[in-house]
Amino acid sequence: MAVTLLLAAGGLGAGVFGALLGLGGGVLLVPILTLAFGLPFREAVAISLLAVITTSSASAAVYLERGVANLRLGMTLELLTASGALAGGLLAFILDERLLAGIFAAMLVYVAVSMARRRGPGVDEQPPDLVADPVDASRPAIGFAATLGGPGYAVRRLPLGLALSAFAGLQSALLGVGGGIVKVPAMHLAMGVPLRVATATSNLTIGVTASASAVLYLLRGALDPYVAGPVVLGVFVGATAAAHIAHRVSLRVVRLLFVVVLVYVAVQMAGRALSAVSG
Amino acid sequence: MGRASGAVRDPVAGAVARLLSAGAIASVVLVALGVALMLAAGLRPTSDSGPDPDPASILADAVALRPAGLLWAGLLLTVALPTARVALALAGFLRLGDRRASAVAAGVLGVLALAFAVARATS
Repeated sequence: MAVTLLLAAGGLGAGVFGALLGLGGGVLLVPILTLAFGLPFREAVAISLLAVITTSSASAAVYLERGVANLRLGMTLELLTASGALAGGLLAFILDERLLAGIFAAMLVYVAVSMARRRGPGVDEQPPDLVADPVDASRPAIGFAATLGGPGYAVRRLPLGLALSAFAGLQSALLGVGGGIVKVPAMHLAMGVPLRVATATSNLTIGVTASASAVLYLLRGALDPYVAGPVVLGVFVGATAAAHIAHRVSLRVVRLLFVVVLVYVAVQMAGRALSAVSG
Repeated sequence: MGRASGAVRDPVAGAVARLLSAGAIASVVLVALGVALMLAAGLRPTSDSGPDPDPASILADAVALRPAGLLWAGLLLTVALPTARVALALAGFLRLGDRRASAVAAGVLGVLALAFAVARATS
């Protein structure tokens, strides 16, 4: 019973942190499962993918109902995120687990540095109307991209957005993360989509992206239901709870704590990558 | 929960939202029941390995309230939900006569089908 509850608690913590900071649960979940519970890296990734699909489905439903997520844009990007995820899922079974752990550690450092460099309220905490469109608005959207815009914005640089989406899918499948750290900047900074719409649309696309690679992990026997069940449940409860407490906590404190945790976890993962024994 | 002002009344998005919401709730309920039965049965994750998914027995196991059956039912529903969402969107776009969106949705379904085929062929 204790292990079941600990797994659920680990998922809960990853879900709360991930949801509060808009990163999804995978960034913390994979290290928790590998370092604290000794799971093989690929099994941890598989469980993480299921967790992000669950939370993505639940939150995407709300975003779609509110008219914030852009379904047509999201599905266009999914063509490439799912393709990238398929490639990543295949690659994950070819690469050495130590190499995967090393790549994961590098990603954690990148995320930690990105968070530490933010001063004052992050761009994700500002009202969406205050976030300037980083793309030159004088350039009209053309072709297929012109049909993907929404109220008050147009989609630009679609080819660049598609290329970045393929990379996001690859990263998601290799590391068991949602890919929002690539998708949101791709849509907002490169394609001129308002931040709130980019975040919601990224959330929508995570399900299809993760599903494309999760099926590879699933059919290759990389998933144990007795481990996955408590973790997925914990992440879902944690992410749901975070939505209710987000306005009561200081995101600056949470972010600082998260940076410290990320650096610690990155060091542990790097140690695992350098160790002689493969997971 | 009230809707944000300026919400887009897209019938396809609305239908997809309802499917995702119902599917997510159903999968979490199934997984929660499975975890509760795990606890009741004294199963220990990481030392008691669960069975591989067997489509032929999952339903029977779930109906018989066996932990693995309920857990697999919830987890497989989780994996299948995004595909069901794309299929529903495709049907909606076709009904609206939106050829471009239909083609994109069909393409996404094609990639997901390819992923499944590759997984089966290489497992």
